[in-house]
Amino acid sequence: MRQAGAYSRILSRKTGPHSLPLARIKKIMKKSSDDVKMISGEAPIVFSKACELFIEELTKRAWINMTNMHEKRRSTLHKEDVASAVIATDVFDFLVNLVTHDNNCELKEDSHQVIMET
Amino acid sequence: MFDNINNILGSINSDEEGGIKEQDRLLPIANVGRLMKQILPQNAKISKEGKETMQECVSEFISFVTGEASDKCHKEKRKTLNGDDICWAMGSLGFDDYVVPLKRYLHRYRELEGEKANQNKVAAGNNIEERQNNEHCNLQGSFYGP
Repeated sequence: MRQAGAYSRILSRKTGPHSLPLARIKKIMKKSSDDVKMISGEAPIVFSKACELFIEELTKRAWINMTNMHEKRRSTLHKEDVASAVIATDVFDFLVNLVTHDNNCELKEDSHQVIMET
Repeated sequence: MFDNINNILGSINSDEEGGIKEQDRLLPIANVGRLMKQILPQNAKISKEGKETMQECVSEFISFVTGEASDKCHKEKRKTLNGDDICWAMGSLGFDDYVVPLKRYLHRYRELEGEKANQNKVAAGNNIEERQNNEHCNLQGSFYGP
């Protein structure tokens, strides 16, 4: 279903193409709580931009964090780099449980050591 | 609100969610990965798990902000969550830097929607005129120009 098509065509002429599928954003919004009943057409569009900003910020912080902490230069961003950025940033507090309660990865907050099971 | 978050975390940690498919609760990894790449240096790579973690974080972000916006609507006895509610929730939850660019984006979108609606009205008006002229012609048996 190409529901995003109409909006993409309009906005791409002026503000750039949509990078995230609006229908999927809407599904995630609806699932977030039972209280969410009706969503205006513009809400997923605002979120598509907000998610871009969010991904950019978290990715940037993860990269800077990683390059600051490692003496040897790495060129690959890993899961624990994202987790470290979450822990280090107040506004991302709502994500702390998500990035630390994981079967595959343990992150020690005090020492910046990461133990990963492959 | 914390109950909501625990419910969301619970559903994220389980593989299945009673009818809701795994892929429906996350944004596509290709799109997420592309956005991550765009902000990083050209030589940078991102591990698959790194992208997956970002997918989870974005979905959580959407839920978190939606919950806050939805609470506001509920308190104000409104049924429909709109773009302004989302912008307000961002500010309320500490994402102050996002508010101005989002409001600008929303304003632009509303302008474009307004233009589109006007274009449709004009087009519809033209169609009605043509139809009336044609009907008139059929009755009269001669052609009256517009």
